[in-house]
Amino acid sequence: MNATDTDGQRSNEVASAYPPGDLAIWIFILAELLVFAVFFAAYAFTRMNHVELFNQYQATLNRDAALINTIALLTASYFVVRGVVAAREGDNALCARWTWAAIAMGAVFLVVKSAEYAHHFEAGINLRTNTFYMFYLSLTFFHFLHVILGMVILAAVALKAQRGGYSSADHTGVETGASYWHMVDLVWLVLFPLVYVMR
Amino acid sequence: MSQAFTKAMARNIFYGGSAFFILLFLALTFDTHSALPDRDNRQNLTEQVAHGKALWEENNCIGCHSLLGEGAYFAPELGNAYQRLGGADGIKGFIMSRPKDGIPGRRSMPQFNFTPEELDAIAAFLKYSSEINTANWPPNIQG
Amino acid sequence: MQYKSQAVAKPYFIAAIGLFVGQILFGLIIGLQYVIGDFLFPEIPFNVARMVHTNLLIVWLLFGFMGAAYYLVPEEAERELVSPGLAILMFWIFLVAGALTILGYLLVPYSGLAEMTGNSLLPTMGREFLEQPTITKIGIVIVALAFLFNVGMTVLKGRKTVVSLVLLIGLTGLALLFLFAFYNPDNLVKDKFYWWWVVHLWVEGVWELILGSILAFVLIKTTGVDREVIEKWLYVIIAMTLITGIIGTGHHFYWIGTPEYWQWWGSIFSALEPIPFFMMTVFAFNMVNRRRRNHPNKAAVLWALGTAVMAFLGAGVWGFLHTLSPVNYYTHGSQITAAHGHMAFYGAYVMIVLTMISYAMPMLRGREAANSNRSQVLEMWSFWLMTVSIVFITLFLTGAGILQVYLQRYSADPLPFMVVQDKIALFYWMREVAGVMFLIGLLTYIASFFVGGKEPEAVVAATEGA
Repeated sequence: MNATDTDGQRSNEVASAYPPGDLAIWIFILAELLVFAVFFAAYAFTRMNHVELFNQYQATLNRDAALINTIALLTASYFVVRGVVAAREGDNALCARWTWAAIAMGAVFLVVKSAEYAHHFEAGINLRTNTFYMFYLSLTFFHFLHVILGMVILAAVALKAQRGGYSSADHTGVETGASYWHMVDLVWLVLFPLVYVMR
Repeated sequence: MSQAFTKAMARNIFYGGSAFFILLFLALTFDTHSALPDRDNRQNLTEQVAHGKALWEENNCIGCHSLLGEGAYFAPELGNAYQRLGGADGIKGFIMSRPKDGIPGRRSMPQFNFTPEELDAIAAFLKYSSEINTANWPPNIQG
Repeated sequence: MQYKSQAVAKPYFIAAIGLFVGQILFGLIIGLQYVIGDFLFPEIPFNVARMVHTNLLIVWLLFGFMGAAYYLVPEEAERELVSPGLAILMFWIFLVAGALTILGYLLVPYSGLAEMTGNSLLPTMGREFLEQPTITKIGIVIVALAFLFNVGMTVLKGRKTVVSLVLLIGLTGLALLFLFAFYNPDNLVKDKFYWWWVVHLWVEGVWELILGSILAFVLIKTTGVDREVIEKWLYVIIAMTLITGIIGTGHHFYWIGTPEYWQWWGSIFSALEPIPFFMMTVFAFNMVNRRRRNHPNKAAVLWALGTAVMAFLGAGVWGFLHTLSPVNYYTHGSQITAAHGHMAFYGAYVMIVLTMISYAMPMLRGREAANSNRSQVLEMWSFWLMTVSIVFITLFLTGAGILQVYLQRYSADPLPFMVVQDKIALFYWMREVAGVMFLIGLLTYIASFFVGGKEPEAVVAATEGA
C-alpha cells in the first residue's frame, strides 16, 4: 500500500477496477454471505436429523410462488446489469430507468412473498410451530429484509442517476449497488432449492 | 484498504447495518412476547409469588446463587431447588436451619429470620420459577 | 493540554483509580471466601462483598469513561467545554452518591437498605449488577443527563469529528439503555429478558462504541496516522460490533424461558461477535506500524495495543468458547462464565480506561507529552503484572469451570454443587494467588505516578521507504 494514499480520493482507473464497485460493499457482502452460509449449514444439518418432518412441511410451501419470485429476482438482476451498462456509457437517464425497473421487480418479490406469509399466518403458523417453520420463516424473512435493503440501495442509485450523478469515468456507485443486489439474488438462488425444492 | 473505500461508505454501513439489525431485533422481541404466555408460567404468577420475588430481590439472593443460570456462582442454582430440596417444606426447612454465625471454615447462607408467611412466599416463588419452560435447562437435578 | 477545561478530567481519573483499588481489595475478599467459606462471616457475607466488587467496577469505569470524554471532546471539538463547573459539580455528586451507596451495602443489611430507600415504591434492587437503591439509579440518570448535555453541547458548538460523534452515540446509548433498569416486572422471564437489554447491550453494544472511539483518539494522537484512515476503521469496527452484537443478545435467551429459536439466532450471530474485536487488533497494530512519529509516551501505546489484544482474547475468544447453545447448555452459569467475565472486562474496558489515563495524565499534570522514562518503565511493569495476572485468573477459572461442568453436569453420576466446589478448591487457591499478583501490579501502577524525572523527547519516525 502506498503510504501517501489520501482516502476519499477516487482512482481514475475505476472503469477497469476489480472487484467492481466499492471495496467496502465487498467486505459487507462477504460478511453477509458468511451469515447466510452459517444459517444454510445449520438448516442442512438440522434437516439431516429431521428429514421426515422437513419433507412433510416442505410440501405445504407454495413452490409456484417461489418460482415466480426466482424469476422476479433474476429479471431484476438483468435490469441492474443493463443499468450498469448504461452508466458505463454515461447515459444517466437510461441507467435510472433500468434501475427503477429492477426495483419494480424487487417489489413484485415483496408482494408475492408477503402473500405467502399472509397465507402462513392465517394458518396460525409462526416461529414456534416446529423446527422446519422456524428455519423457513427465519431464513426467508432475513432474506426478505435484505431485498428491502437492496431496493433502498438501488433507489439511492436511481435517484442519483436521475440527477445526472454518474459518468462513464465515475460510476462506482452503480456498480456498488449492483454488487449488493446480485448478492441478494445469489442468496435466494441457494435458498430456493434448499428450502422449497430439495427432497 | 482500497482508495475507493471511502469514509462515507463506512459510515453508511454503520448506520444502515445498525438500523437493519435493531429492527430485526425488535421484530424478534415482538415475536418473543407473543410466545411467552405458553412458556413463562404466568398462570401461576400469584400475589404470593410476586411477594416471594420481592423478598428474593430485597435480600440479594442473586449475590450468591444463580437462578436459571444467572447470578453469582458461589452457591447452588435455584431454578430447580424446588425439586432438589423436595418441595416447599424442604426449602423452608433449609432456610430456617441456617446458623446465625455460619459454619466454621465453610460457606454458609446467612440466617435471615424470615416470618412463616415470608418463607411460604419464597417457596412459592421458587416453585413458580421451577415451572418456567427453560428448554430442559439445567441438564440435571444438581443444577 | 490544549484547552483549560480538559483539566476536569483529572479528578475523574483519580477517583477511577481509587475505586479500582477498592474493587480489587473486595475481589480478593470474595476470592478468599471461595476457599475459606466463613472468612468475614457474618460481618461481610459473600453477596455483599461481591456486590461491592462488581458495582465498584461499573462505577469506576463510568468515572473513567466520563473523564475520557471530558479530556477528548474539547480537543476534538476544538473549543472549551460548555460548562467545566457542571462537570466538577457532577463529579462530586456522583462520587458522594457512589460512596454512600457502597457504605450502605457494607453497613446496613441489604433488606434494610431496600427499606430505607423505599424500594417497595419502585422495586429495582436485588438484580445482578443493578443492586443499587432506586434513588442511586435516579442519581445515575441525572448525572448521565448533565454529562451528556455538557459533552453534547460542546460537540455541537465545535468541530464535529467521527471520534466525538461515535463517543456521543455510545454514551447516549449507555444512558438510554440504563432506563431498562427501572423495568422490573413480577414475571421473571420478562424481568430477565429486559435485564439483558441493559447488561448485554451495554458491554457488547454501546460500550464497544465508547471503547472504539477512545482507542481511535489515542491512536490518532500517538501514531500521527491520518485521521481519515483511523476514522474509517472506526466506522467499520463499530458497524460490525452492532451488526453481530444486537442479535447476539440472543445468546442470553437460551434457557430463561424465551422461545427456542433464540438458540439459533443467538448462536449464529454471537459466533460472529469476535470479528469486530479481531478487526480492532488488526487496526491497532496496523496503525502503530504505519506511525509517522514515535510518541514519547511509550506506555500509552503499550496500553492501547494491550487493549486490542486482550479485548479480542477475553471478549472474543473466551466469549466464543461458550456461546454456542449446545456448549452453553453445559457451561451456562458456571465458572466458565466467571472466567470470560474477568478477562473480557479487564481486556476491553479496564484497559481502555487505563490507556486513556496513561495518555492524558502526564498532560493533566503539566508535562509536555509523557512521563519520565523511569516512570514509564514502572508503568509498563504494572501493565505486564496486571495483564499476566488476569490471564492466569482466567486460566484457573477456566480450569475450575471445566471440572465443575464435568463433575456436576456432564458425567454419568453428577455430584452436588458443594461437593464439586470442594473438589476444585485448588483452582480457587491459585486464582487467589494470581489475584494478589494483580494487586501488586495495581500498586506498582499507582507508584508509577509518583516517580519524577525528566521528560523524554519526541522523535519523528523515519519515513517508510526513505
